[in-house]
Amino acid sequence: MTVLKEFTPLFAPKTVAVVGASTKGNALPNVFIRRIREFGFTGDIYPIHPAAAEIDGLTAYKTLADTPKPVDYAYIAVSGAQIPAMLSAAKGHVRFAQVVSSGFGEVEEGKNLQVELAEAARAGGMRLLGPNCLGIYTPRGHVTFTEIGPKEVGPVGIVSQSGGLGTDIIRRGLSRGLKFSGLVTVGNCADVTPSDLLEFYIADPQTKVIGLYIETAKDGRRLFDILRNAKATKPVVILKGGRTQQGLAAAASHTGSLAGDDRVWVALARQTGSMLVDTLDNFIDTLLIFQTLTPRPQRPTQKVVLFGNGGGTSVLATDYYSRLDLDVIPFAQPVIDALAELKLPPGTSITNPVDCPVGTLQQDDGRVAEKILDIIYSLGKPEALVMHLNLSAFVGRTKPEVLDNLVAAAMRVQEKYPGQSHFILVLRSDGDPSLEARKREFRDKAVALGVPVYDEMANAGHPLAALATFERFKAARK
Amino acid sequence: MNKLNENPVAAARSAGRNALDESAGKQLLSSYGINVPQSRVAKGVAEVDAVMNGLKAPVVVKVMSPDILHKSDAGGVKINLRSAAEVKTAIEGMLDAPKIKGARIDGFLIEEMAPAGHELVIGGLRDPQFGPLVMVGLGGIFVEILKDVSFRLCPITRIDAEEMLAELKGAAILKGARGTKPASIEAIIDVLLKVGGDNGLLMQHAADISEADINPLIVSDTAAVAVDARFILG
Repeated sequence: MTVLKEFTPLFAPKTVAVVGASTKGNALPNVFIRRIREFGFTGDIYPIHPAAAEIDGLTAYKTLADTPKPVDYAYIAVSGAQIPAMLSAAKGHVRFAQVVSSGFGEVEEGKNLQVELAEAARAGGMRLLGPNCLGIYTPRGHVTFTEIGPKEVGPVGIVSQSGGLGTDIIRRGLSRGLKFSGLVTVGNCADVTPSDLLEFYIADPQTKVIGLYIETAKDGRRLFDILRNAKATKPVVILKGGRTQQGLAAAASHTGSLAGDDRVWVALARQTGSMLVDTLDNFIDTLLIFQTLTPRPQRPTQKVVLFGNGGGTSVLATDYYSRLDLDVIPFAQPVIDALAELKLPPGTSITNPVDCPVGTLQQDDGRVAEKILDIIYSLGKPEALVMHLNLSAFVGRTKPEVLDNLVAAAMRVQEKYPGQSHFILVLRSDGDPSLEARKREFRDKAVALGVPVYDEMANAGHPLAALATFERFKAARK
Repeated sequence: MNKLNENPVAAARSAGRNALDESAGKQLLSSYGINVPQSRVAKGVAEVDAVMNGLKAPVVVKVMSPDILHKSDAGGVKINLRSAAEVKTAIEGMLDAPKIKGARIDGFLIEEMAPAGHELVIGGLRDPQFGPLVMVGLGGIFVEILKDVSFRLCPITRIDAEEMLAELKGAAILKGARGTKPASIEAIIDVLLKVGGDNGLLMQHAADISEADINPLIVSDTAAVAVDARFILG
């Protein structure tokens, strides 16, 4: 069976069993039933209960083997000790069981129970997710464990070894414009590992970019082999938590003592073209750039033009980007000459970075900005352009539509020179609630147009550097 | 060469050893096509004349003992010896050294000295989750103090090997900075691939070798020679 076919019942289940829902309707599994109904799940839901005939208005069944149709996905949240017997009794009637309960391998006294659980899942003929996780969010299947999560199916496929972080990724990702093809929390990985789901996402036509939050990779070699064989067909962003000191502390040789904590992850990333990131924010920011932009290995990102209002911001960003191995270097003379001919108001800097006061930017409803961008694109030919707007500086001085005009102008230039430059927008704000609200509204519009939006220049720099790394990797291995 | 010598790893394993001695280590490297200095083993002073007949001075003498992991620290390495007489004196001195006296001694490795060049380190390590890793670094303070090394998971490709070298902070030194001759990048890549490549030593012996050090690998502008090597089994 292909990996796509194997995991389809998980990502688009037709039948869902729920173990642990109470007749009083207040247990976590009851909440889960409510959420998937709200999320638009239209398949059969089977509450499993030893005594009740009905739960939340649904017919209940005594065991997982008793349901009228086979169970594609079983959500299990009852105390750990009773689960193994439940699974082994399912006798091939369940395809995927997700055990959200904890008290297994993550604690010393639960290690044996986890072994038992994995054996029971095997005996019962199912794949097991978890234990010690939160669930799955799969918009294509209308199943979710979170209270919020867009219904729209997107291109970002996530595997998270932490349930809580999985929720963060959905919530925070949502507010930055990420759209998901799926998010699976895998907890202790007693059976299904991040590698299994990585294989699925690589094969899944819906998924364009993959994000992994990994704490320990028990099957590290397999993870490496899958990534290597995939030849970076899809960008993979890895947020690595924890360290693998195991076996290294005792090292007797030079090499052993130098291996350090995450050298192996750095090596894996460099060899497979994966992007290793350090923080949740960086993870989301990097996923966003790959969701919105198409990597161009034929012309890896190197020259970056900064365009916006804020001289100090431009200078600091130039330094920052240079440390990220991106070049923000002055234009050649023909570009400067062409920009000079526009006779821009004083205070406008026309080398790179191009620093324009608000007055210049809003001239003729953004049409001056369009002329500037046109010259930059046609003569400067950067691989990427970062347009940064300090929203505070616009307040009270401009018509509300000036931001729209500016971005519309940029989009027109973008269309006029297809494939010329990656376009990135940085919307800087001082945290003022009304400004934040405006930014949020604007961000949604921009991301929908395929423009990644970031809060600060540094936040945009890291994803841009990751994009450059990915493009260079592909270029070197053509 | 007897049959056991043909596979030094298996030989050491069946002898119950947890490491390859230097001679066996170099034999292993040599069987993968990696240059090692011409060397021979003398059991003791009495064999020195015969052994020196086949070698070109200057030579280096190293004590061979399963009890001594750090030969230099124990006084078990003497370099730049120009005659059989100098070699004999060196061996006698070693036998008197406090850290060598009580040790089990398998013999003395007498080896031609490698021509001058850049000192590099190539290493290997088996990670419990990821399997064999290969490492490269510049020798001396670059490794000891600055830890300027790069790692890759085995097997590596040629591009991986090139990128490993390129990411060393001291990479420019290999091109011949400050009046030194450049090192042959091609020769280093060749050794890296023979150690960490597809059919390389670390992949082939992944089940047996837990750690490996080729330190130093002396690289001239034309060739690379593995001057010392250590393999830990397990």
